[in-house]
Amino acid sequence: MNIEDALLLSTERAWDGAYITWFHAPGLTQGVEPGQFVMVHCSTERTDPMFARAFSYYRLDGDRFAICYAVVGRGTRWLSEQARGTSVRMYGPLGNGFRLPDAPSNLLLIGGGVGVAPLVDTAERAVRAGHHVVAMMGARTGQHLLAASEWPREVEYVVVTEDGSTGPKGFVTEHLGKYQEWANRIYACGPNPMFQSLADVLRLSGRRQSPEILMEENMPCGWGMCYGCAIFTKHHGVKLCCKDGPRFSLFEVF
Amino acid sequence: MAPNLSVEIAPGQKTGLLLRNPVMPASGTFSWGLEFAKHFDISRLGAVVSKGVTMVPRAGNQQPRVAETPAGMLNSIGLQNIGIHDCLTRMAPLWARWDVPVIVNIAGDSIEEFGEMARMLDGIPGISGIELNISCPNVDIGGIEIGQNVEASARATRAAVRNTDLPVIVKLTPNVTDPVALALACEAEGAAAICAINTVLGLAIDTKRRRAVLPRARGGLSGPAIKPIALRIVYDVAKAVRIPVIGCGGISTGEDAIEFLMAGATAVQVGTATFANPRALLDVLEGMEAWLTREGYDDVSQVIGCALPEGTRAG
Repeated sequence: MNIEDALLLSTERAWDGAYITWFHAPGLTQGVEPGQFVMVHCSTERTDPMFARAFSYYRLDGDRFAICYAVVGRGTRWLSEQARGTSVRMYGPLGNGFRLPDAPSNLLLIGGGVGVAPLVDTAERAVRAGHHVVAMMGARTGQHLLAASEWPREVEYVVVTEDGSTGPKGFVTEHLGKYQEWANRIYACGPNPMFQSLADVLRLSGRRQSPEILMEENMPCGWGMCYGCAIFTKHHGVKLCCKDGPRFSLFEVF
Repeated sequence: MAPNLSVEIAPGQKTGLLLRNPVMPASGTFSWGLEFAKHFDISRLGAVVSKGVTMVPRAGNQQPRVAETPAGMLNSIGLQNIGIHDCLTRMAPLWARWDVPVIVNIAGDSIEEFGEMARMLDGIPGISGIELNISCPNVDIGGIEIGQNVEASARATRAAVRNTDLPVIVKLTPNVTDPVALALACEAEGAAAICAINTVLGLAIDTKRRRAVLPRARGGLSGPAIKPIALRIVYDVAKAVRIPVIGCGGISTGEDAIEFLMAGATAVQVGTATFANPRALLDVLEGMEAWLTREGYDDVSQVIGCALPEGTRAG
C-alpha cells in the first residue's frame, strides 16, 4: 500500500451520470491485479466526507490509471467536478483481484451498471494473455452503457438493457444463453441482486464451478481495520470485503 | 536533541507498562495489528491495543455497520472477533515476536467473565496489559451496561485485577452524567490507568427509507466530532484520579495529541483517524515530537497536565 497525492489528469463522461477520471500516480500503478481497488479521498479537507471511497482500477497505462464511477453521492460528485491538475489524496492498491487461468481459455465477463468498472482492465489483460473474452454488460438503458470503443477490439461485447433500448431487453442474467456453456471461467461485478440472479441461473443450469465475483460494501478504511465491510459467507463465516475480498466465490456468498 | 517521549502508564503496579512513546491505537480500529505490521514498522508505536476480545468468537452485527457523519462516523460493528482462545493461540505468539507491548481489550458478558478472561491472559508471552471494555454500545449484554453503573464498573475492575498481574486499564464510556465517579471507583479497585473515552451514543436517519441507518438504530460516534467531549472528560478525570489517564477521541494530528496531554493524559489512542489515513498513528507521533521540539521541551512529561488547574496535577 502506498499513500500518494495523485494529480488529476482528465475527467470525461462515461455515460449519463458516470465519469472516467485519469490520475498520474506512480506509486499506485505498480503490481496491480485486475479487480484491486484504490481508496480515493473525495474532499480537500478530508473531514466531511472524512473517509476515502473505494474505486476499482478501470484502466492502467504506465504511471497513470483511471477509475470509472457513477455519481451517487457527495464524494463522487466532488470528484467529478475537480479540474485537471487537482491534487487528490489516495492510497492503494488494495484487496484481492481476479485470478485468470494460465492456459488460453474462454472467459465470460458479466457486469451490471457501474460494475463494468473493473472488467475493462480485466479484459485487456485477458486478451493480452491469449484468452477469448466475451463481455456481457447489463444497464438500465442504452444511455447507461460504456462505449464499445472502451473495450479491446478482440472482445465480443454483448449488451442487455432493462428497457430494451439497446440489445435484448431484461437483465443480463436472463440472456447468458450459449455463453455459459462456452465459458471455461466466469467473472462478474455488479449489484447484489445481479449476483443472486446469476447464482440462481447457474445453479439451475447445473454449473458446478463458481464464478469469481468482485463485491462492493461500504468501506471506511479499505485495509481491514474498521470491520465495517462485513460479508457473510455460507461456509467460511464473516469476511471483510476490503481485506478478504473484494474477490469472492459467487456460490460462497449467494 | 529529540525530546524523550517515553511514558509509564502503570506506575506502582505489580507489572509496569513503560511505553517508548505515548501513541497507541484505539481498540477496534487496529484489528490485531497484523495489517499495520505488514505495511509499517509497528515497533514505532508506543503500544498496540487489540480489537475487543470476547470469551467466544462473534460474527458481529448485520449490515449496515457504519454511517459516515460530519467529521466522524457512527459504528455498530458488534464486537466481531475471533474469541479469546484464538487470540491466545494464534495472536499472542505473533505479538511475542514484536518489539512493542500489546494490550488486549477484553469485553466480558458479565463481571465474572472479566475476571476469567483476565486470568486467561495472565502470564501469556506477548501480552503486556489488559484494557477492560465496559463501554461498548453495540452489544446486548456486557459492554455499556456495566460501564454506565459505578458499582458494576468497580466490580468488573476488581474481578480483573484480582486475576492477573498484568496492568488493567479501564476504558470509560462518555455516555454517563458523571465519568469521574466511574474513574474513581475503578481506581479504588486497582485499575492501573483510565482510558477515556469510548464512543458517544448517536443516531443517523436514512430519509429515503424513513428509518435509522443502523439496524440497532444507535451507534457509537467517533472521529474529530467528539474531540471536545473527550478532552473535557480527560480533563475532569485527570483532575480527580492519581493514576494515568489515556486520552482517546478524535485525535488525528500531533497537535490533537498535545491537547490531550495538556488536559492531563499520559498517553493517547488514535482510532477513527486511521480509517481515513493509514499512517495516522505515525503522523500523530511525528507531529507530537515536532511540536515538542519546536516548543523547546526535552521530555514529553513536561506538558502532561499543564493545562489542569494549579494543585490538581498528579505526581
